[in-house]
Amino acid sequence: MESLNPKLLEVCSRCGACYHICPACLNLEGYDPRAVIKDILAGTYEKWLNHKSIWQCLECHHCLEICFQHYGFENAMTAMRTLTAKKRMTPVQVKRGWDMFIKTGRLGEPAAPARKKLGLPEAAKSGAEDFKKIVKIYQERKESEARRQKTDGK
Amino acid sequence: MKDFAIFWGCTIQARFPFLEKSTRMVLEGFNLPYRDLDGFTCCPEKSLVNNIDRGLWVLTAARNISLIDKAGVDLVSPCTGCASNLATVNSELHLSNKEKDKVNSILKEVGLEFKGKNKLRHLVPFFHDEVGIPAIKNKLLKPFNGMRIAIHYGCHMIRPSHALKNDDPLDPQKFDNLIRAMGAESVQYMTKLLCCGQGLDRVDQHENALHFARLKLKELKALKVDAMALCCPSCYLQFDNNQNLMEKEGEKFGVPILYFTELLGLAMGYKPEDLGLDSHRIEATEFLAKWERLHGELSRTTDLNRQLEEGFGIAQP
Ligand code: SF4
Ligand code: SF4
Repeated sequence: MESLNPKLLEVCSRCGACYHICPACLNLEGYDPRAVIKDILAGTYEKWLNHKSIWQCLECHHCLEICFQHYGFENAMTAMRTLTAKKRMTPVQVKRGWDMFIKTGRLGEPAAPARKKLGLPEAAKSGAEDFKKIVKIYQERKESEARRQKTDGK
Repeated sequence: MKDFAIFWGCTIQARFPFLEKSTRMVLEGFNLPYRDLDGFTCCPEKSLVNNIDRGLWVLTAARNISLIDKAGVDLVSPCTGCASNLATVNSELHLSNKEKDKVNSILKEVGLEFKGKNKLRHLVPFFHDEVGIPAIKNKLLKPFNGMRIAIHYGCHMIRPSHALKNDDPLDPQKFDNLIRAMGAESVQYMTKLLCCGQGLDRVDQHENALHFARLKLKELKALKVDAMALCCPSCYLQFDNNQNLMEKEGEKFGVPILYFTELLGLAMGYKPEDLGLDSHRIEATEFLAKWERLHGELSRTTDLNRQLEEGFGIAQP
């Protein structure tokens, strides 16, 4: 998640133009990113962590497309989801999907028997090995960065 | 045409291999220079990976893109999610040298480099722009004249538009043009651009996912369309699988869900069972029967018209 931009969010809190094109706003009771945005600006967003609303944003990008700031409600919802994940409070299915992704680099392996029955060629090789290598490097760098920030802060 | 790698993504190969079958059949039917490339992973899915770790989302997509850079080919995907995720990261990395350098400093360790020099496209706009309507019309043996088809674009075929740059994000046309080129009517309806809502099924909100499936299926049932056309495995899952679950509970919609490649394949004269239509949960029997009937009428009248025209040329009383 990129950091949130309070200036853009402040405009959001007074705008709401995308509300009427947002499929979740229009079809799911109680879903309203404007409330989340107001709480973010007021610093009282704790109650939204793992609230069912923040997982109802469909990431359809309608709000982004219609927004004159090219910003979109979804940024606020993504921020809340990332924070929820940091606190390890995600829905069960999200956790399961993430574990599979980190372990295999994919969200499911090619169904070999069904493919054979259909006469499909063998699936191309997965890049799982290289993927795991770069994930390891990425995570090590992230950790050392975090350690450095901590000591700098002291 | 430049060679391209096909990016199947996880869902098609793991859950719907018959969609891979019909895709390969039409690619081969048009003699398109596609290939399978070793080494791809999950695109990765934005709504899962970006929500948890943005850096890893960018890095994983960049690695996939660097593989086509290395092979010197374009990329086409029959999955809207894959196309959109890869294009989004591609455009973000083009905007930030800092982020690009960071990603490349890691990719270097496995002998790769992100350049982002090749085209990344979804299959539908690819057919529209690269194969083209005239070439498609040329290949049709059995068009869908008289059939009423409702298109579901799928959000990520067209959005975010700054990254995909392939159609109007709020009033898309290309899929419509293709369906019309196949002879069918593209039925316009209120919920046409509504998100499928499948994502809700991945965050422990199954009932809400069904609610979204219902919104569209109810309208299409009332409009008596012959089928829904789409080209995304998640949307397919939502409308075929979840429609079937609801039908088992007694809610009847009867809207067959056909993949773009299946429709194209049928119109090109391939058999439904070869294209994998028998793997669908919602049967397309009525659709196929109506199409057969209309096609019979169409060819009989064409034949009659030919005879009429010939007649005028020869015998003058
Ligand atoms: S992406 Fe925007 S428009 Fe779409 S559901 Fe989320 S908040 Fe609503
Ligand atoms: S995201 Fe854009 S359109 Fe939506 S409320 Fe904020 S400023 Fe308005």
